[in-house]
Amino acid sequence: MNNLDILGLSMRNLLRRKTRSILAVTGVIIGICAIIATLSIGFGLQESFRASLEQWGNLHLVTVYPTSGGGGGYAVVGGGSGPQDKKNVKLDEKALNAMEKINGVSGVSPREDTYLTFGIGKYIASISVIGVRPDMIEKFNYEVQEGRNLHAGDKNVLVFGNQTPGTFYNPRKSWGSSYSGKPVVDVITDKIVVTADWNYGQPQRNLPTDANKVVYKEYTFKGVGILANAENYETAYNVYIPIDVVRKINEDKAKAEKQRYDKTSGYRQAMVFVDNIEDVKRVSDTIREMGFQTSSMNDALETMQNQARMIQMILGGIGAISLLVAALGITNTMIMSIYERTKEIGVMKVIGANLPDIRKLFLVEAAIIGFVGGLAGIGLSYLLSLLMNTALLPALSSILNSGGGEVTRISIIPLWLPLAALGFSTAIGVLSGYSPARRAMNMSALESLRNE
Amino acid sequence: MVDEKSADLRKPLIEVKHVRKVYRMGEEKVVALDDVSLDIYKGEIVCFLGTSGSGKSTFLNMVAGLEKPTKGEIIVGGVKVHKLNEEMVTLFRQKNVGFIFQSYNLLPMLTTLENISLPLVFRNVDKRKRDAMAKEAMRAVGLKGYERRRPSQMSGGQQQRVGIARAIVGKPKIIFADEPTGNLDSHTTQEVMEIIVNMVRENNQTLIIVTHDRTISEYADRVITIQDGNILGIEVKGVAKNPLKESVGGSNG
Repeated sequence: MNNLDILGLSMRNLLRRKTRSILAVTGVIIGICAIIATLSIGFGLQESFRASLEQWGNLHLVTVYPTSGGGGGYAVVGGGSGPQDKKNVKLDEKALNAMEKINGVSGVSPREDTYLTFGIGKYIASISVIGVRPDMIEKFNYEVQEGRNLHAGDKNVLVFGNQTPGTFYNPRKSWGSSYSGKPVVDVITDKIVVTADWNYGQPQRNLPTDANKVVYKEYTFKGVGILANAENYETAYNVYIPIDVVRKINEDKAKAEKQRYDKTSGYRQAMVFVDNIEDVKRVSDTIREMGFQTSSMNDALETMQNQARMIQMILGGIGAISLLVAALGITNTMIMSIYERTKEIGVMKVIGANLPDIRKLFLVEAAIIGFVGGLAGIGLSYLLSLLMNTALLPALSSILNSGGGEVTRISIIPLWLPLAALGFSTAIGVLSGYSPARRAMNMSALESLRNE
Repeated sequence: MVDEKSADLRKPLIEVKHVRKVYRMGEEKVVALDDVSLDIYKGEIVCFLGTSGSGKSTFLNMVAGLEKPTKGEIIVGGVKVHKLNEEMVTLFRQKNVGFIFQSYNLLPMLTTLENISLPLVFRNVDKRKRDAMAKEAMRAVGLKGYERRRPSQMSGGQQQRVGIARAIVGKPKIIFADEPTGNLDSHTTQEVMEIIVNMVRENNQTLIIVTHDRTISEYADRVITIQDGNILGIEVKGVAKNPLKESVGGSNG
């Protein structure tokens, strides 16, 4: 028998017992649907974790601190810790060079944070400042939406996080920044006054009396660009300035406040940029081996994704059980149909059907049940997925959203999933049909000759 | 599989030698065939007459290769059928044997045309060729125009004609008919028997009929009466057209 004839005959047999075939197919539909829907929720969770983490920071970045001291409180999410037995290692140029040589690292910059007041004409803003190596900022994938980025050799030059221009306000008109998002002043200008003085530009009557005694320096800066990374908390609310300048300002500030500024103990933080997110864990481990502490959004992502995977496995397990039940349904359907068709099988044998053909006939029938069920199940899953992402979104997001960010899609079906599901459901069909098909093949042809 | 050259008049097409068949029913042994020897020649119409339980169906099943004898030899066209494995026996049946059943045994989900061409489907004949062959067989049994009917839409006589067409469509050398008219009224019986016999004569095929109905035996060249597993008697009819005349006469040849 050729394959087309086998397929045709199998189809006829299935169509003949419509109700039973439909019931068996429905079992597969439910099973496949359960698996795809639950897995897609898992993928949706992973994606929403990733999205919410990306809002908090760059997944390629590893922040490095010396084991003791330093501004270790920056990125608290999932922070790792270094080995306790190692001696304090200085986070200096030598250490940074070593980090740069780690496989997968494409850029390293020391980092120093501070908080400064900026004045453009009568408008002021107090913004958190991050000092970085000016040539590194582009390597970190910080792109500008306006103007230019920091370049090597820049001195009193700064770029704004894209939410910062909106924080400038006129202290004579309002009490503080309104964070309206709409900048009232053009920040790309070379007349920016920068100072560590919190009260710069404020009306005189608001000044605390003792603060008058400290005299902070004022510097003139040039605003050259605005970063493009919208919605990313790590960059959006900061101003970036070359690190040497930040250190100078911090030193001057300490002097003005009559405090000691330790220049010799190395940097307090460094940023390591890893090209491939997959490498972040390995790079972090290597840096910790060197005696530093690290933290990265990726650590957190991994924890969250493990959690998502766990949820996915539990949900998928429930789906798998329903598919198992469907497989039993197929086997049952096939066994029933073989008993019913004992005589037919005998007739086919007597008039010349080969044994493998008989087996193929029944295997193909079972496979069709699996295939058709899989196909319909996939269709239904997409429908269900659409429903979850639209009508059921508000209800479901409040249950499932543990990541913090805003969930736009509860259910994500990657392209490979329906293909795998179709292959799987067909395989389930063949597997469930195997034993009944063997039974049919081994049935006695004499049955057909028994007269009733 | 059957060697054309061996199918001459001198050499029998079917040789049954001292065949014995015993069924085990638990502790008890039931002898279906005791010791049967018989030769059947090409072009012969042989009728096995006997009551139920006489062993006539067992005989047919063994010649068709559906059952194996407990003892003895069955040689069809030079092939030792009792020694073939199941796969070989299927091939043997595909090429040499057509079956007509008492209860027609048509596949209910297939149309008339599809039922008739089914043996050709198993033989991997391509669709255009097998449809042409099936249509020819339909014409021969007088079913032209019924191609798209299903078994459930036809009378018993019509269904049996489909069964006959299915048996002859592959032009087999031997046709087995097991109570072919058992479910039909006397008028239809006559119709169906005439079709079968005419087809067989036309194509010089060998027909073996198993029946308990004495009227059926009228169509045969030889009637073999079986009782309790043994041949009770052989009656030769229509000697004039019997190709076995000489050998039965037993003279010079």
